[in-house]
Amino acid sequence: MNNPCTHQKEVFLKKTATILILSCIYMFLPGNPVYSADSSAVQASPSDDESYMDEAEPPVTVADPLSGLNRAVFEFNDKLYFWALKPIAQGYKAVVPTPVRQGIQNFFHNLKAPVRIVNCFLQGKMESMANEMARFVYNTTFGILGFWDPAKDYPHLNPPEEDFGQTLGLFGIGNGIYLVLPFLGPSTLRDTVGLGGDYFLSPTAYIDPAAVGWSMKGEESVNDLSFRIGQYEELKDAAIEPYESFKDGYLQYRKQKIEQ
Amino acid sequence: MSKPARNFFYFAYRSVLMPTSRTRCYALGMIMLLILTGHAGISQAASPLEALKIPIETVLSLLKDPKYKNPDYRQQQRDKILAITRQLFDFTEMSKRALARNWKSFSSQEQLQFADVFADHLSNSYMDKIQGEYKDETIVFLDQETVSDGKALVKTKIQRQTKDIPVDYSMYSIDNQWRVYDVNIEGVSLIKNYRTQFDQILVKESPAQLIERLKKKVELKIGN
Repeated sequence: MNNPCTHQKEVFLKKTATILILSCIYMFLPGNPVYSADSSAVQASPSDDESYMDEAEPPVTVADPLSGLNRAVFEFNDKLYFWALKPIAQGYKAVVPTPVRQGIQNFFHNLKAPVRIVNCFLQGKMESMANEMARFVYNTTFGILGFWDPAKDYPHLNPPEEDFGQTLGLFGIGNGIYLVLPFLGPSTLRDTVGLGGDYFLSPTAYIDPAAVGWSMKGEESVNDLSFRIGQYEELKDAAIEPYESFKDGYLQYRKQKIEQ
Repeated sequence: MSKPARNFFYFAYRSVLMPTSRTRCYALGMIMLLILTGHAGISQAASPLEALKIPIETVLSLLKDPKYKNPDYRQQQRDKILAITRQLFDFTEMSKRALARNWKSFSSQEQLQFADVFADHLSNSYMDKIQGEYKDETIVFLDQETVSDGKALVKTKIQRQTKDIPVDYSMYSIDNQWRVYDVNIEGVSLIKNYRTQFDQILVKESPAQLIERLKKKVELKIGN
């Protein structure tokens, strides 16, 4: 007579027990709020275990045997920027309307397509090379000699930009030594060689008379700078030791460009 | 009181006061169910991208607010922004990482002082950065990647007229709160950059001198 009732009771007890056990297991799974609150009380920040010291990715370093000269050139570039280049670029910006400056920047960027195409090829990045070529054709025709950049809206037509310094880096050639170039700023021996190689791939190098080519380069630099006024100051302001900061910034930047 | 609600209270009352095992079982089951669903709700609450986007957009709107063009309100604006950045960025963690092995050569008081002044300095630079670049540009929040357990990388870009600048935030989560411990701009890690600078400085100078340098820099900035 009592049996059905006790049976029912047993079933319910079993179910309850199962729910309880499962819940207990669940509560101690990682990620549960109760559990993680406990652990975070002990581990207040991810580096309490001293992981902050582990430099899994060691800093990019380069020999700087010419640091005396480099620092002098760094100072020279700094003065050059504040006393000459910045006022020139500011005046230029005030006179030349933004769409025109934009067009000029597009034009020079398009003109340097051979640099990017050849270096894509040398690095074996055939898809990027094809895209750079397509971009060049598209912008030169529909963008009217590259003054417009209709390719901008197609991500695949904008592959990471390659240069000869990156190509040499990919070939396994190290930075060599750190150099600060007059006018051009931070560089390394390898990247300076790269700049030399790229120079011969830019059409402006072959313009006759050479003076026209150089004035075009000058125009390109001033025009570019007119979009970047204030950036140098910002980086310099953020630095405690500007020389070291620009050196490391340059090395990190180039490293990821090569890896791209 | 609606009928389902009345039923619920009746059920709750019965299950507690009437000790029949059957109702107790149901009550226990329901409590467990609440815990389970509650957990699911919490863990989905904040994604790292959201945790970054909301404060940054608040800071941007503070920077754009015409009310603060008046110099009298400048300090107020600054304080509000600092309150947000101190919440979003873990400056103590950033200090540790920037000093790396040098952190231990700082006394605990120096560690506190350093973290404090470094926080001010980074906030200043960060405000300059987004203030300077925000004139005709927008910040786009692209993507979030889980790096490892409790760590994530949030990818953003500053869209400018001529060029996009990728800015990635390294974040970690404690107590379901995501905080930033490094910022990577165009492939350059901020913390690594400061690490090389501090390494160089601490070869020649004491921790106190470094703190003094940072203090001067911050005071110069506020004076402007």
